[in-house]
Amino acid sequence: MALNEFLEQLQQLSTEATSAFQQADSLEAMEAIRVEFLGSKQGRLKAAQKLMGQVAGEDKPVAGKQFNATKQAIEAGLEDARERLSGGSSSRSADPTFDNTLPGEAIGGGYLHPITQTIEELKDIMGRLGFSVADGPEIEDAWHNFEALNIPPEHPARDPLDNFYLATAGTGTSSDTDTPLLLRSQTSNVQIRVMESTPPPIRIISLGRVYRPDTADATHYPMFHQMEGLLIDSKVTMADLKSVLRLFATSYLGSDVHIRFRPSFFPFTEPSVEADFSWNDKWVEFGGAGMVDPNVLKAVGYDPEVLSGFAFGLGVERLCMRRHGVTDIREFYKNDVRFLHQF
Amino acid sequence: MLVSWNWLKQYVSLDMTQAELEHRLSMSGLNHEGTRGVADDLAIDLEVTSNRPDCLGHIGVAREIAVLWEQPLTIPDPQPASSAPAAAEQASVTLECPELCPRYTARVIRDVRIGPSPDWLVQRLATVFRPLNPDWQPVNNVVDITNFVLMESGQPLHAFDLDKIAGGQVVVRQAGKDEPFTAIDHHEYSLQPGICVIADTEKAIALGGVMGGADSEVSSSTTCLLIESARFDPLATRNTARALNLHSPSSHRFERGVDPVGVEWASRRCCELILEIGGGELAEGIIDVGEPVAEPGPVILRLSQLKRILGIDVDPDEVSRILTALGNSTAAAGDGELAVTAPSWRRDLTREIDLVEEVARIHGYEKIPEDVGVPMAPSHRTDRDRVESIVRQTLLAASLDEAMTASMVPASWPESFTGWTERPAISSQTPMLKGADRLRTSLLPSLLEARRVNESLANPVIELFETASIYLAGDGEFPVQQWTLAITSGGEYYRLKGIVEGLLAALKIDIPLEVKEVDLPLLDLSRSGELCLDERRLGFLGEVSPEGLKQFSLRNGTSLVELNLDLLDELAELIPQHQDQSAYPSISRDLNIVLAESVRWSQLEQLVRATAGEELEEVNYQETYRDSEKDGADTKRVLLSMTLRSRDGTMTGEQADQLREKVVLQIEKQLSGRLLS
Repeated sequence: MALNEFLEQLQQLSTEATSAFQQADSLEAMEAIRVEFLGSKQGRLKAAQKLMGQVAGEDKPVAGKQFNATKQAIEAGLEDARERLSGGSSSRSADPTFDNTLPGEAIGGGYLHPITQTIEELKDIMGRLGFSVADGPEIEDAWHNFEALNIPPEHPARDPLDNFYLATAGTGTSSDTDTPLLLRSQTSNVQIRVMESTPPPIRIISLGRVYRPDTADATHYPMFHQMEGLLIDSKVTMADLKSVLRLFATSYLGSDVHIRFRPSFFPFTEPSVEADFSWNDKWVEFGGAGMVDPNVLKAVGYDPEVLSGFAFGLGVERLCMRRHGVTDIREFYKNDVRFLHQF
Repeated sequence: MLVSWNWLKQYVSLDMTQAELEHRLSMSGLNHEGTRGVADDLAIDLEVTSNRPDCLGHIGVAREIAVLWEQPLTIPDPQPASSAPAAAEQASVTLECPELCPRYTARVIRDVRIGPSPDWLVQRLATVFRPLNPDWQPVNNVVDITNFVLMESGQPLHAFDLDKIAGGQVVVRQAGKDEPFTAIDHHEYSLQPGICVIADTEKAIALGGVMGGADSEVSSSTTCLLIESARFDPLATRNTARALNLHSPSSHRFERGVDPVGVEWASRRCCELILEIGGGELAEGIIDVGEPVAEPGPVILRLSQLKRILGIDVDPDEVSRILTALGNSTAAAGDGELAVTAPSWRRDLTREIDLVEEVARIHGYEKIPEDVGVPMAPSHRTDRDRVESIVRQTLLAASLDEAMTASMVPASWPESFTGWTERPAISSQTPMLKGADRLRTSLLPSLLEARRVNESLANPVIELFETASIYLAGDGEFPVQQWTLAITSGGEYYRLKGIVEGLLAALKIDIPLEVKEVDLPLLDLSRSGELCLDERRLGFLGEVSPEGLKQFSLRNGTSLVELNLDLLDELAELIPQHQDQSAYPSISRDLNIVLAESVRWSQLEQLVRATAGEELEEVNYQETYRDSEKDGADTKRVLLSMTLRSRDGTMTGEQADQLREKVVLQIEKQLSGRLLS
């Protein structure tokens, strides 16, 4: 049977049925029409379905589609008639086959890694405080990772056992430097690069992966993420540092918190402090901070007599672990999808 | 650093409570780590930062307490009695390596009685040693006294049995190559040049700054002592301790630098206590070789700098008091300036900013306000951040989870996928995790490993992506660090191709995505391709080959994508521009075309676009059928639909049919295709 012929028959069937249902004047008459068209054994629609078998194979998709449309039109006619003849809404009856407790259709969607979520929140808060994100390389030279940060060659922080120095062969590095390139041990290299290429004022954060050899255990991993902030201007003081950290911590935790400084020692800041914030009546370690060391300012060509600034840094993993109750840092890098789906 | 509560009281009165002491020390630079009771004493654990070796002895800690509570500090002034003959007549010291040992002093004591230490001495040492080593026991009076002075002043000392020093001649020199040495712990070490040894005329008898030797140690039969008090170079000491993996309380202090003046004081103090407890005769004088201690010049502190850096004013009298109490000598210099000369034990105070920090930490950081008005400033969201955000949104919508994997990988991984570079991966001198010492040249192997871990947990759905850098060796000073996106999916080739197309759409990149054939062993030869935009390589796409699945121990098939995000960042249209839309309805036409199997969709699509012209709004691929009986071998039927729309008016059916015929004609002519009616 040609497709066109079949489609015409369907059209005819639809028109006739719709018209018959519209003219039905009782529920009995309606039922008779239903049997004529929709009867499961002798109904005309059933007969039409059988004809579909004669339609050529390549036309079957079109024929099937039209058949379904016809069936729906006739059923709609029946429903209209039923509603009209049984007096509208008073006839509402529940469909016992519809289980409204079955699960909904899954909407799909993936999950962002909790470290990314933490980083995004930090960027967001610091952005509102006027700090723009600056990027820098993960593979760094000794100048940007150490020297300019007031970490001279004899400093213990440069020990090969505490850093991932790259093997010199095959790295394409210039051989005129004695110290090989390394994977950055902190994101402070970005501060140096930004200050070298940008006139003050500077107001940035840098975020990303940093690398320090360590045996992986529940609280250590040889790769982790850091956020560092840097503000350089003509009149920046430690009071500004404390106030910015307080704004940050209050934004992050959502309630008024206080900041406490404990003296510490870092080569790139002087004075150097450990900053704590108060949380649930306890002091919680925030990270290291301090006023940018004059040697660092000099290294990038800034005049420490004119400019001052502060820097602070914190470990993203630690923050994320505390926030979400993660007790083993290695979970972040195992990528068990059940872990990822929790956040 | 463990300090004893009772011991501290020798130098400063402790009128405060234990908690007050711990708190204020924490707030001024000696972070309190914990306190333990030992007998009737307290062992207080304080963290001493590497710039404060002066606090690696009780006197240094007592000085901090004296400054904080404005109490007097009482330091012993040892004046041991001595008698002829002079030390220099009974022993000699030759210093051959002043670069490793800037100063070496020796005193000689004869007729000493070696025996057990008195109770007070044992108790002092037990408080500070037993919490770290429950098995700690006193050795003998002389050795215990050297440890006492070490823990009192921070200056390590060593007592030799002078009769066991061949010729009574001490030579301070570099070790020879593979020189053998037996330390006091009776372990054998093989030494190398660069290591400072204390030797006699025959052999090394001590490792300078690190540990004494077994052969010359003080025993119950010892009667003559040579008391060493010296200063060893910090870097050399650290290198030795590291090289031999031999860390001692001595090396810990020399690495940080001892008080160059205190060397002689500690020697006197040690001898005084030995005479007092063990008796004997101290030889006159001291053998003292090495460079004289350089006197530091004064540092000018401008009081205005305190306000400039700290943001608060500090009373000038308070500034003077703090600095003086810390051991500095201060004098008024110019107007509002102090000339400050640091004491010999504070070699960290060389600059004005160092003095600012001293004033701040003693005055108290709590006095710095936390509510000053920080000026507002604009912050700009970087393009890279915007691109990353769009990429993530798109991938999350495609039901992918974000993974994070390590930047260093085992050597075999970069070899398994060489799409981005043929050069070997850069290696690091130290592996990150076991065996992982290569910087990755692709994220794909890392994701396949994450996939394996998930398969081993029988997690049914594993759809992962990661954005991170890959590191490609290049010719420049730095390797290329390419920002990269990778995906692993349980779906097939077209799922991931759809995701790539979705990414391009989300980033408003309307350059057509080209797929080129590529032969990478990790990927199936047919179901893979190299992706390009305007002839620039965007990345790779494909289903993993059976060999690839085997290499990464995967049970189930997976498809991969890896894209150069730097390129997407460059091409992304982050601020799309509005285009006027036609006000008229569209009309669509389907085409069912029989084509040779070798004709690619990209050819067909390109032809349809070129032929239909600007009234073609979309051309959509629908389906491919094959019916070789009717159409002949190596043919396929491709069903496509065209959406047509005019800018000038409603397109009529006739106009649409004309366009369709035009397209069909070209398909017949250029691709030898045929329209199925």
